[in-house]
Parts: sequence; C-alpha cells; structure tokens
Amino acid sequence: MREQSVKSGLIYLGAGAASLFFLTPVLYMVLIGFCRTPELLSAHGHALFTAQNYLSVLSDNNLHFMEYLRNSIVVSALSSVACVAVASLAAFAITRFPIPGKMSLLFGVLAVSMFPQICIVSYLFRFMSGLGWINTLHGLIFPYIAWALPLSLWILVSYFSKIPKGLDKAAIVDGCTPWQTLYKVILPVATPGIFSTLLLAFIFSFNEFMFALMLTTDYRSRTVPVGIALFQGLHGEIPWGEIMAVSALATAPVILCTIIFQRAVVQGLTRGALKG
Amino acid sequence: MNRYLRDLKYPALFLSPLILILALFIVLPVLGTILNGFFRDITFLPKKWIGLDNYLRLFADSGFRQSFVFTILFIAVSVPAEIILGLGIAALLHTPSKIRLFLRATILIPWAVPAAVSARVWELIYNYNYGLFNTLLALCSRDGAPVNWLGSPVSAFIALVVADVWKTTPFAAIILLAGLSALPENLHRQASIDGADFMQTFFRITLPVLRPIIVVTFLFRTIDALRVFDLMYVLTSGGPGGSTTSLSLFGYKYFTGGDFGYGSAVSVLLFICAFLLSVVYVRSTRYQEDVA
Repeated sequence: MREQSVKSGLIYLGAGAASLFFLTPVLYMVLIGFCRTPELLSAHGHALFTAQNYLSVLSDNNLHFMEYLRNSIVVSALSSVACVAVASLAAFAITRFPIPGKMSLLFGVLAVSMFPQICIVSYLFRFMSGLGWINTLHGLIFPYIAWALPLSLWILVSYFSKIPKGLDKAAIVDGCTPWQTLYKVILPVATPGIFSTLLLAFIFSFNEFMFALMLTTDYRSRTVPVGIALFQGLHGEIPWGEIMAVSALATAPVILCTIIFQRAVVQGLTRGALKG
Repeated sequence: MNRYLRDLKYPALFLSPLILILALFIVLPVLGTILNGFFRDITFLPKKWIGLDNYLRLFADSGFRQSFVFTILFIAVSVPAEIILGLGIAALLHTPSKIRLFLRATILIPWAVPAAVSARVWELIYNYNYGLFNTLLALCSRDGAPVNWLGSPVSAFIALVVADVWKTTPFAAIILLAGLSALPENLHRQASIDGADFMQTFFRITLPVLRPIIVVTFLFRTIDALRVFDLMYVLTSGGPGGSTTSLSLFGYKYFTGGDFGYGSAVSVLLFICAFLLSVVYVRSTRYQEDVA
C-alpha cells in the first residue's frame, strides 16, 4: 500500500510540475495584460491592475486588432472548410476505389507536407503578386488550403478506411451513385473524423505565420499572429501590457476550442501522425 | 461498388481538386524556387543565369555556415529534450489518475497558441528589465544580477530551446501517449510476474516496444525543427549578431532584401535536407499496415 501512495504521490508531483511549466507563460500573459506597467514584482514596480489594456486594444482603431482577428477567423474558417471538403473527396476515392499508384500518391502527399515553407513562400509571393492577390484574404486562403491538405488527407484516410465497405455495398444496392454514397452514407458515419480534421485545419491556419507575413502588407488582410509579432509601440517603449492583452484575447478562442474539444484534437493528431 | 469500380472517371474526379491545389500552391512554387536558385535574381537587376554561383557563394558565406551550425545544434538539443520530456508526460497521462484530464488539457494549451504569439510572451519573460525570469532572480537571491538572456549567443540559444520545448513537447507527448496506449496490457503484468522491477521493465521492455513510435516522433520533430522560423523571427530576429539565425530565417532575410536567387539557393539546400529526412520517415512508416 505504501508503494501505491508513493507512486501516486510521484504522479501528482510530476503532473503538478508539468502543469506549472506549461501554464506559467500563459498565465503570465493574461496577468500582464491586466497590468498598467509590466514591472510586476520588481523592486520599483507595483502591481497596478487595470482593464485599460484590454479596453484599448478592443476599441482603438489604429491598433487594428479587430481587423486582425476578423481576417484570421475568416481565412481560417473558409480555408479549413474547403480543405476538409477537398480532402474528404480524395480520401473517399482513395479508400474505396482501386487507384493505380494509390500508395505512391499517399506517400507523395506525406512528403509534400514536409517541405519547408521557405521553399514555397518566395515563388508564392511572386505568383500572388502577378495575380494581384497580395494583401487579400483569398490570397491567403488558397495557400492555407494547400498547406493543411496533407495532414487532413491522412487523418480522413485513416478514418474512412475503418468504415466497413458493406455500407457502400448496401448504398449501391439501393441505387446510390458514388456522390450519394459519400454524402448519405460515409459522411454521417465519419462525422467525428471530419470534425477533428476541421478543427485541426482551423487551428493550423489560424496559427500560420510565414505565408501571412510575406503575403500581407497591412491590416486589411493581416492575421493575428503577424499582427502580434509586428506590434510595436507608437512611441518608443514597447507596450507590453497591450501586447499581452491582445495575445490573450486572440488566443482565447483557439485555446478554449482546444480544451473543449480536446478528445477530437488528440484523436486527429494521433491518427495524422501515426497513419492509422 | 462494383459497377463503379471499373469506371476511373469517379476517382479521377474526386482526386483532382486535391492534386490541382497541391500542384499549384506547393509543388509548383518548390520547383520554381529550385529553378530560381540558378539565377541571379535581385530586384532592379536583370535576371541572369549564373548556374551554381549562388551555391558557391553560400558555401563561402560565413553567415550561412553560422546558420547551418546553429540549426543543427538547435535540433540536436531541443528534439531529444522534447522526446524525453514527452515520454515522461506520456507516462503520466497513461497512468490512471484523477489529474489526468486536467493535465491533458494543460499540455494542449502551448500547442494551441500560435508560435509567433508564444514567442512574444517569451520575449517578455526573458526581458532584461522586467521579465519574469529576472524578476524571480531578483526576488530569490539578494545579489541576483539580471541576466541578459537574449543578449549573448549561448544564453539566447538556451532561451530559444526552452521556448521551443515549451511549445512542441505537448505534440510529442500526445503521439508517445498513443504509442503507450497501444502496448499490450499483459506486457507489464508478465514482467512483474517474472520479477522485473520498474527500471528493468521500463528500459528492457517498454522502450524497445515503443521504439517505432519514438523513431516516428523523432523524425517528425526533426523535420519541423529543421524548418523552424517563427520563434527566431519574433524572439531574437536571428541575433545577437546573427548567432541564432535558423536556416529558414537566413533565407527569408535575403528574400526580403530582394535577393531572390540567393534565398532560393538556401531554400533548396534546406529542401534537400528535409526531403532526405522525409524519405527516411516514409520508409519507416511503410512497414505499418496498408491503410487503404
């Protein structure tokens, strides 16, 4: 029995230490957001708590925070939905039809997901410039769809391949075309997988940095990560309180979604990384 | 599905959006970048074919060597740290306890936060005047002199590694947890029946069985660490003196400076490294059962 309590004591200790490590920066971020000056515990500082930082980033138009958030949400939502649609079609085809070179395609897509962004971004910049899509939302959406596709495909292939082919056979017997089979039979059954993929694609798009950095030039299409990274004070001193406030506000939705839907997130990531 | 199976029209149709989008927005840009590496492509100058000159210039460039060494060191230190820490956390998550779900939610938070935003928070934590670390140092020891974390190459390196470990260990932990969960139940029971203690069980039995998953996680993280950009861009801007410039950041600086040819050459070298690693990765996962 003593061994049991030592063991559980160690577990609580370990979990406590890990939680402390992982939570501290986030808590610090929220806390400083509420401070007038960032000198929270230092000798000459005093904790002046205020909600002013949060209020000003929400209302001050020059800071463009609401635009950044709007851009991020629109781009991430549209690109993740489109990405899942494209990946579902492909996953359906891959798991149901005998396609020559199927495994090569899958592993080719996997290899594509490992390309460094720096190898893509310069040509993409020129390409988008040529189309006049620099600093537009659609200029971000299409690359983001492409960027999230490989992982989405692998996750959906993993889920779809576990759906028994008997369901398809029954649908065909009932007179469904492949489109209808997908729509009426597979999608309802695969809803958890679709949801996981959607969530992951959304988070990846929301957090993406390099493309947004290179393909946007001002608040009209800039996304949250770039906005926060480039946030400088208007006069000299970096406004840490406001930066932390913005960061807290901007990441709260993503964090909340992740916590609420953590099972879906974990399952999606696991399947995506371990290929089934 | 029989009457549709022979008709290749359907799979072709269903696959075409995927292939089109990937070809247009990823494959084509990469090919274009590879091609561009052979040109002198600088804004305001006429574009000219110069063959391997960009690459020759790269190999003579001390800044490139510095970036290369930094990136390799960064991978060599942070990836093992993440795997080891991730294993520990996975073990914690695997053991049934009341704190399990709380822990899992907690570790997902760093994963969910954008890398650029987390880098900004770490920038404040490492701040010389009023950052968290220096403030704690001042509180804990009477003559705790503030450390200029980001001001010297070695401490900046450590600072970056810590920030990266914070951000990416959760992912490693989750994958390794999946591996742990897949271990057969009776493995440990058999071991304890045979009289093995915890250490023996862990090193002689658990780890070897987990090896494939560890390898996969290792490769995944290495490829990601190879292309790291956001963290360095925001936290150190590659400084001090270019000592923390990752390869991606190095290439990026040339792109924004207008030298697309040179930047493309850097990108190609990075691509080759990532591609070789991804071949190893694909090979190692090929042994898993056919999913389709």
